[in-house]
Amino acid sequence: MEYSENIKVAWQGLTDHKFRSFLTMLGIIFGVASVIAMLSIGEGAKREAIAKYQDLGVNNIIVREKDMTDEELEEVRTKFSPGLSLHDAEVIREIVPGVSRIAAQAEINADVKYTNRSVKSSVIGVTPEFYDILNYKINEGEFIGNLHYNGKQKVCVLGAGIAFTLFQKEEPIGKMIKIEDQWLEVIGVLESKALFTETVGELAARDLNTDVYVPLSMFLDRFSRGNTLDSEIQQLTIQVENSEHLMETSTLINEIVKRHHFNNEDYGIVIPFELLKQEEKERQIYNFLLGAIAAISLLVGGIGIMNIMLATVMERTREIGIRRAIGARKRDIMTQFVTEAVVISIAGGIVGVVAGVSLSLLVSVFTDVSTYIRLYSIVIAFAFSVVVGVVFGYLPAKNAANLKPVDSIRYE
Amino acid sequence: MNDKLLIEITHITKRYEMGDNVVMALQDVNLKIERGEYLSIMGPSGSGKSTFMNILGCLDTPSIGEYKFRGVDVSKLDDDALSAMRNKEIGFVFQNFNLLPKLNAVQNVELPLAYAGVPAAERRERAIRALERVKLADRMYHKPSELSGGQRQRVAIARALVTNPGILLADEPTGALDSKTGVEIMRLFDELHREGDNTIILITHEQEIANYAIRNVYIKDGTIHYDRLNTNRTIVT
Repeated sequence: MEYSENIKVAWQGLTDHKFRSFLTMLGIIFGVASVIAMLSIGEGAKREAIAKYQDLGVNNIIVREKDMTDEELEEVRTKFSPGLSLHDAEVIREIVPGVSRIAAQAEINADVKYTNRSVKSSVIGVTPEFYDILNYKINEGEFIGNLHYNGKQKVCVLGAGIAFTLFQKEEPIGKMIKIEDQWLEVIGVLESKALFTETVGELAARDLNTDVYVPLSMFLDRFSRGNTLDSEIQQLTIQVENSEHLMETSTLINEIVKRHHFNNEDYGIVIPFELLKQEEKERQIYNFLLGAIAAISLLVGGIGIMNIMLATVMERTREIGIRRAIGARKRDIMTQFVTEAVVISIAGGIVGVVAGVSLSLLVSVFTDVSTYIRLYSIVIAFAFSVVVGVVFGYLPAKNAANLKPVDSIRYE
Repeated sequence: MNDKLLIEITHITKRYEMGDNVVMALQDVNLKIERGEYLSIMGPSGSGKSTFMNILGCLDTPSIGEYKFRGVDVSKLDDDALSAMRNKEIGFVFQNFNLLPKLNAVQNVELPLAYAGVPAAERRERAIRALERVKLADRMYHKPSELSGGQRQRVAIARALVTNPGILLADEPTGALDSKTGVEIMRLFDELHREGDNTIILITHEQEIANYAIRNVYIKDGTIHYDRLNTNRTIVT
């Protein structure tokens, strides 16, 4: 008996009882679909996290001023902390080994105006290093360079969102916008960045696309701070040459800054790479749980197949007897029934793959959960369904093969 | 050694143990069958003739004794070898036809060849020839449910013939048929014997059917009571 004939016989058996076959397949369909959907949700979360931390820079250590009330600010000042300053940046650059670049930034919240339009925005004074360290991409024009910085020029670069709100279809480059009482020329617009949806340490969740970037030198000269006690700058982003020494480097930086702030902990340190690793670890547990649930549903599907196959073997005792009487060997009967189980599970697997892929796409379209389907998840889910067919088809097939021909041929 | 000798059964005993009871279905049975013979094995129900048929058909093995088929001791064969014996040497014809209901006539006839590993094209060709032999070529693509009882039994006979087996083993072949159709089937057996030189063994409880055979074996209580030539044979005209 050629194997293709077994498949034909199995397919025939399946289509003879369409509804029953469908019910039998349901378990496998749910199992495979949930494996694919869960893996794709896990993968989507992973990619989102990687993208988020890549935006913060995997080689970066971020030192950021704590959010403090006026009273707290007053308290640390009376304890002689000068707050975060350019001086801190210089000291770090001098003392800490393996630092490739440092970007400083100072911030105020202000209204940004163009003609009759006005937008609330974060105005951020930055050094030219900022652009490279934080992975920004310019969409048109240019970013703040050394020339702008050293010349304390009154220029600015707009986030994609604010550029659109202010200028809509107009060309922003070369236009003048007004922040507080200062007129600034737009020299560049950034590419749109992913929303920063989670608060990470001292980094609050916000939309980076509404930021306006100006040279820090000009910012410090021309923009008034809300409170005279405010620190000079709000954040230092330190890029190291080798991510392997991130922990040691950050410990050293902490020591230095703490000393300069007279032991006032008015700042926090965020290491994106460490957070990424930590988050990955948490997600692994979560993925394992999801995988276990999916595996259980496949198991239940397999038991469903076994159940139906056992009934089928009973129902077809006579057929088995006839086949044995005309020369089928035990292994022929075995092959026939295992093939039937595998055909059911493969058919269920195929429907499950389609359902799983559709489910993942639906989830990413209709919710803000992002999904990503990787080929290996389809392969795994499908292979699993075949294995389930073989494993759970084995026992019923064994029963069928072991029926005594002399008894089964007379079975009514 | 007699080169016409096909089956040689010596001192066969079959016992079943049912709890504390031991049932002796067959006791010390001896029988020789030559190639080309047409014999009947008759006996009332419970006589052990079904057990004897199962052993002859390699569906079962004796508890004690020797069953030689073309000189090979069948009682010592394993399950795979017995399957091969059934496939190549035994052509079963059953009372209730035992066709597979989902396959059409020619597919049913092909099935033994499939298990023998015959390629599909050759299989079809041989199956068609077997169906022509039983005069059913025009019903080739009908399913058993679309055929009459007599036609179904012809399909079953074609299936039994298709591998050119050593023996045709017919178990009450007319039992499920009306008497007119039964006679037609018996005529077919007669033709197969005369023209095809087939060895035919009829298992029956009816004297009337046994009378079609040339040699009559009578079994009662697990032993052979008589084994003689049939002197008033029914000739099908």
